[in-house]
Amino acid sequence: MATLASAPGRKPHGRFRLAVDIGGTFTDLVAVDTASGAVVRAKADTTPGQLDAGVLKALAQSGVPGEAIEAFIHGTTVVINAITERRGAVTALVTTRGFRDVLEIGRANRPDLYNLAYAKPAPFVPRHLRFEVTERMTWQGTAARPLDEDEAAAVAGSIAAAGVTAVAVCLLHAWANPGHERLLAAILRARLPGIAVVASHEVSGQWREYERSSTVALSAYVQPVVAGYLGSLAASLRGQGVIGPLYAMRSNGGVGSFERAARAPVSLLESGPVAGVIAAAELGRRLGNRNVLTLDIGGTTAKTSAIRDGEVRIDTLHHIGRTPSFPGYPVQVPTVEIIEIGAGGGSVIWLDGADGLHVGPRSAGADPGPACYGRGGARPTLTDANLLAGRLDPGYFLGGAMPLDPAAAERSLARLGAQVGADARAVARGALRYATAQMSHALRLVTVRRGYDPRDFAFVAYGGAGPLHATLLARELGITRTVIPPGPGHFSAFGMLASPMRGEAVRTVLGRLGRLDLAAAFAGVERAAAAELGQGTQGAGDVQVARYAELRYAGQEHTLEVPVPDPRDPAAIAAAFERRCLEAYSFRLDAPVEVVALRVSATAPAAGLSWADQAPPGAVPPSASRVVDLDPYGEPRRVPVLLRAELADGRQVRGPCVIEEPAATTLVLPGQAAGQDRAGNLVVEELP
Amino acid sequence: MTADRFTMDVLREGFAAISDEMFTSLQRTSQSPIIYEVLDFGVGITDAAGELVSQGNGVAGFLGPLGDVVREVLARRMDLRPGDVIAANDPYSGGGTHLSDVALVRPVFADGDLIGFAVAKGHWTEVGGKDPGSWTADSADVYAEGLQLPFVYAWRGGEPAGDLRAILAANSRLPEMTLGDLTAQAACLEVAERRLAEMCARYGAGAVRAAMSAAIDRGERLARQALARMPHGVYAASDHTDTDGLGNGPFPVQVRVEIGPGGMTCDFTGSHGQVPGPINCTWSGLVSGVRTVFKAITDPAEPATDGWFRPLTIICPPGTIFTARRPAPVAAYFEATEMATDLVWHALAPAFGDRLPAGTFMSVCSTSLALTHPESGEPALLVEPQAGGWGAGREADGQHALVSAGDGETYVIPVEVAEQRYGIRVERFGLDIVPGAGAGRRRGGRGLVREYRICCDEALLTVAWGRHESPPWGAAGGRDGSPNYVEVLRGGRPAGPRFGKAARVRLARGDLVRLVTGTGGGYGDPREREPERVLADLRDELITPEEAARWYGLADSGRPVGHGNSGITDIKVDNA
Repeated sequence: MATLASAPGRKPHGRFRLAVDIGGTFTDLVAVDTASGAVVRAKADTTPGQLDAGVLKALAQSGVPGEAIEAFIHGTTVVINAITERRGAVTALVTTRGFRDVLEIGRANRPDLYNLAYAKPAPFVPRHLRFEVTERMTWQGTAARPLDEDEAAAVAGSIAAAGVTAVAVCLLHAWANPGHERLLAAILRARLPGIAVVASHEVSGQWREYERSSTVALSAYVQPVVAGYLGSLAASLRGQGVIGPLYAMRSNGGVGSFERAARAPVSLLESGPVAGVIAAAELGRRLGNRNVLTLDIGGTTAKTSAIRDGEVRIDTLHHIGRTPSFPGYPVQVPTVEIIEIGAGGGSVIWLDGADGLHVGPRSAGADPGPACYGRGGARPTLTDANLLAGRLDPGYFLGGAMPLDPAAAERSLARLGAQVGADARAVARGALRYATAQMSHALRLVTVRRGYDPRDFAFVAYGGAGPLHATLLARELGITRTVIPPGPGHFSAFGMLASPMRGEAVRTVLGRLGRLDLAAAFAGVERAAAAELGQGTQGAGDVQVARYAELRYAGQEHTLEVPVPDPRDPAAIAAAFERRCLEAYSFRLDAPVEVVALRVSATAPAAGLSWADQAPPGAVPPSASRVVDLDPYGEPRRVPVLLRAELADGRQVRGPCVIEEPAATTLVLPGQAAGQDRAGNLVVEELP
Repeated sequence: MTADRFTMDVLREGFAAISDEMFTSLQRTSQSPIIYEVLDFGVGITDAAGELVSQGNGVAGFLGPLGDVVREVLARRMDLRPGDVIAANDPYSGGGTHLSDVALVRPVFADGDLIGFAVAKGHWTEVGGKDPGSWTADSADVYAEGLQLPFVYAWRGGEPAGDLRAILAANSRLPEMTLGDLTAQAACLEVAERRLAEMCARYGAGAVRAAMSAAIDRGERLARQALARMPHGVYAASDHTDTDGLGNGPFPVQVRVEIGPGGMTCDFTGSHGQVPGPINCTWSGLVSGVRTVFKAITDPAEPATDGWFRPLTIICPPGTIFTARRPAPVAAYFEATEMATDLVWHALAPAFGDRLPAGTFMSVCSTSLALTHPESGEPALLVEPQAGGWGAGREADGQHALVSAGDGETYVIPVEVAEQRYGIRVERFGLDIVPGAGAGRRRGGRGLVREYRICCDEALLTVAWGRHESPPWGAAGGRDGSPNYVEVLRGGRPAGPRFGKAARVRLARGDLVRLVTGTGGGYGDPREREPERVLADLRDELITPEEAARWYGLADSGRPVGHGNSGITDIKVDNA
């Protein structure tokens, strides 16, 4: 696909905040003129193997001159690619004597319960590259045995002989006292010039030796790749005249400088999806919705996150590649919580051996893609079902840039239906009902698991297929308000532009609430968060500090996190914990409350950004009306089709109708009304 | 909404969502760590006849009891009204395992008609009995194991049965936790009732009933299709259980498995009678153990319904170690369940090399250590399963360090957490290399060694481990693995012989408890192992040079390859 820019030929002027997000297929660029709010967009093919080439191509297409960029923000898949494709450095791990196998043992769980041939995740450092040194810290942070420095030097020699290019260090209880790790890392660095050495306390202040070992091992594993990539991209951008600061989007929902990102590369893992959640939280704030459920549906998955009381939920432990039957690889990196469901536009509709209908989790991907793409895909997908149900316009997909083939969709569905005596339309309807049920169950679980009620949330839907399914799901879940932001296809990129600079620090700190000097304990964590934030802020405004504590009743294992506005007021903290307990667990106990971890987030907010993104009209206008299957809220019937731009005058329309824009289609059901607010959000609400 | 054929699929998806939501609800609201951390519970819904429609499990061990417990309620012809909840933990009637596992059943009605049941069975931390935590390794009868609930009403028409709560509280060392578990478990049944009622309102009770039958029948159809593709024949295995915790045994056990066009039959006739110690299981424990293997060879991923298991027949006379009768002790019943799994697995392994590897360490290896925390001076109780070596398959080497087949989403306790929480010192946690064990063309996975240094004046150790007397079995010419064992070192020297079962072993400050789990069985002749794999294992120090020479046919050539302390040297291939 050719690159395209929204305003070809015209050279933008002004001061731009510019975000480039690398996806699997496309590299998306969005820039906002901070003076006028005008939006520039560009899209280039992603260039696997040399990702920065795609970035530069998109930049050239956008026409934004390098010197006009006041901030460059980058979302990249380079880290996750290096891990999933196992293209990282040959890595060694040095641990406390007696614990060489921690990384390989993992937690010994078998999530795939009845698979007796189950295989656990293979470690990123093989046994012969895992070394032990004599030393011992206690959990109180005292040295029970000093580090044997001669042994450390000998290990350095073995590592040098083994041909590794990165070294991870993880000693027991380094979360309590990193003294031995520091000393060991210094010895290794002195004896291993040119080899990246990463110690666990530099990337995680949390306990649990397997999870911390995994974090530091993966950090070391990707460090040379990521540092090389960011370094060469920075050089290219400077070559293009970019003088503004360069930032990378991080899993914690903020941005950090390239230098910080290169030092803690595992913090970049989930940058793209996270940015969408940040944008949704920001949108919710502007609309006065403090509870927001996000819905981001793409080709292979649906992603969702619950924003509660205006706060995105940060997990202090994230698992890479986790599925219900595979534990994945843990990283102790603060990550915005996102739940993934294996259902997207490309999800394959299929019948099992007992003629039971299923949708996904297998996906036709982009190639061959759904049958209606006409690229040779023969198996029907959710997109084919939507097309046959009239919910997509074959002539207005991507604004008409990609004509769809309804006959191919029908053929694929009819072939499946023939096995069970159903016609293509019945199969499409069944599959759409099934997908709605599947997605609504997953969304309900996300909220119920936390003790929330989905009816207390507003829905923010984006991604290519989010708007198409959102109103059906909202009604299923009892959600009365659905918001489709402007430019739903680029919403994640807007999230990057809106993201603050963010430094996050988590420390395992153990003690009884009330006895522990929380103010003193927080001071250290705050310093770490400020250091993590680094120098130079992305926009105006002072650094804001938010404190959180992970608490539990004595004797429990699981913790709940509560905000700590005042660390000197344990009674208020305990009260907040009890409220949270009742909400999440439905009970409270008469037991002492323990502190397990402290988290501080230091943010320097981005300059208040408004975006007046009106998508360019499509190549062709959509048809003025079409027959749409409104199941289960009505039989197929002809309904009006509106262009989203037509709603700019503030008019309200009643369902049933369809609202088209090049990047998305929104279905307004009978009993719902839709209109655009002044900021250009499409709001669909249930009529009273 | 009209109910067409695809409505059956939407409702099937809905049934799965109901058990997911029940699972989440119970995990979220239970106060028993063994429920919310170890996930030692199962939930599900059945049709009006007690046939399981969908279930949610955190461990493999609850494949049997859920439908059985509902069918027992029906068999007892109990008066059932909306808002009733029935409690049962009787090990010897339908769905019973051991007293710690308490089942609650709630009938669900639509417009006055019974449409099904919601059922949950969970391991409560405390139900009374002779030892704290109710679970023990040396009970002589069931009366020592806790309070028995022989299908009694816990709620009647939505009102809590006050007498039961008072009895539970009076018999529990942790009454608040016990009553909390009762409430949490009942709440997850209400979730199911609410969702089923919503379904009936939307699709009609008739459609919901039809979809329940369809879901059960679908399971049967898929299982039969899987069976039809299997090698038919008669398979057999025999083995010995370990001692019973009271010094008796080992005891012979056996199975004969027949796979034919009509299904699979497992006949345990000839296995030893029930034994004096608590390693007996009852019918539901046997069923769970056998179903685990049946599920593994048919399709591990498909949802489990009672329909799925219709083609499976289990035969075992009453009064055996697998079908104990009152008042035989059953506190450590899971060891007999694991043995039932292992027997059927052993019998079928030759025919299912891709799905069933060689023998595993087989035991939950449940371990409890009662200590005093040296920092706080308060009592602390460490209870944990151990992970061990799994057997090699036809193509893959065995997995190191996984929890047993009866466990599942069960986690070992991190060293750093264990030291802080229990005030012990963990001196070693790593793979245990037993030379020669599990050697094969595909090598058995290694077990673990975990060492606890006692840092308080006195501690009590209780273990109920299996596979201590006999090692995991090798397959197709692979060598056996190694047995599980516990030993106590005092002043650096063994304080006595190694053991697999013991109750309340008295330990003193400075003692070292060494917990060692076995290497899994090997698969195929070790001499056929590719030399590059042998060399890689040597480089990784997963085997010793002596082992390489003796079992894998490699000869020493004197050049070092490893970096550890074992003095490993380079090896020449000697296939002669």
